[in-house]
Amino acid sequence: MDALTSALKIAASGLGAQSDRLRVVSENLANAQSTGNTPGADPYRRKTISFISELDRASGGTMVEVNSIDRDPSDFPVEFQPGNEAADDKGYVKMPNVNVLVEMADMSEANRSYEANLQVIKQARDLISMTIDLMRNQ
Amino acid sequence: MISGIGGIGSLQLKPEIGGTDAATDLFQGAKAPMAGAEIGTTFAEALSQAASKTVNTLQNAEQVSIQALKGDADTRQVVDAVMSAQQALQTTIAIRDKVVSAYLEISRMGI
Amino acid sequence: MEPVNLFDLAAKQSQWLSVRQSAIAGNIANANTPGYTAGDVEPFEKVLDRTAVSLTATQAGHLGTAATNAGFTVKPEETTGAIMPSKNTVVVENELMKAGEVRRSFELNTAIVKAFHSMMMMAVKS
Repeated sequence: MDALTSALKIAASGLGAQSDRLRVVSENLANAQSTGNTPGADPYRRKTISFISELDRASGGTMVEVNSIDRDPSDFPVEFQPGNEAADDKGYVKMPNVNVLVEMADMSEANRSYEANLQVIKQARDLISMTIDLMRNQ
Repeated sequence: MISGIGGIGSLQLKPEIGGTDAATDLFQGAKAPMAGAEIGTTFAEALSQAASKTVNTLQNAEQVSIQALKGDADTRQVVDAVMSAQQALQTTIAIRDKVVSAYLEISRMGI
Repeated sequence: MEPVNLFDLAAKQSQWLSVRQSAIAGNIANANTPGYTAGDVEPFEKVLDRTAVSLTATQAGHLGTAATNAGFTVKPEETTGAIMPSKNTVVVENELMKAGEVRRSFELNTAIVKAFHSMMMMAVKS
């Protein structure tokens, strides 16, 4: 596999990883207010994603893949909402440990990385095309 | 590599002093061909002048291009040098073709 | 020093540029991978110095090997600037700038090859 094709493969793996990251972020954002159903129950626990680099034998390049999707172990914040079905006997509800601002920042980071990987794919494709063009117009 | 391009014709032209590199300059200074025995030297001089100018232009283009591939040459210089070389080569080839066809025509004339 | 063949040099540079492109791709793909150090190919001048003597020796064994790096070493770059807690050293902006350089050099390379090739064909034709 020549180097330009390998570049395509590597960038495609980057796209995949960033897409998974965006999926995790959107799950967190969608569930930012999801409390439990019964009194004192735990709410939605924030998901985290971690990447790992992977050396691809065939191409000789370092691709990226998702290592794992875990749960954020930090404590749940509590709010005073006595009317909520998940409120304990003192009226406090455990809220998801999702910080919307953090998720939004992560989302724009993921978008940026996605765009950068897309740029690489476009460029590698153009370089291959330029090489083939050498033969044309004889 | 340039020698491959340089041997474009079967005419043996002696190299002479070079000059500017625009295609129209190839014949600068050449006297108009006159009748009689003088045609041979004047025209041959003009041709060899043109051919050596072409070779110089080609060599310059090759040099500048090699510099560019190694990483340090001005892009515009490379483009200019290569275009001049293409012009010079095209002109020289056209001249060569004309000379060859003129020679063939002459050789076909009845004595 | 013996004269350098233009087409051979162009082929070598285009290979080098392709390997650099894949190194840049690896850096960008791993921009968020913890512990990943950004890498880059050795400079082209070093490659030329190294292979000047052994050019014929490498040609024979070139095709057919799976090694995509074609003999160019890809080494981790020295880091300048802040070290992130994740130990990741990729700066995406620098990688994109390098990608731009690769593209320009590649365009010039193919243009030069195309021009000289057409000149050779011109001379040989008719």
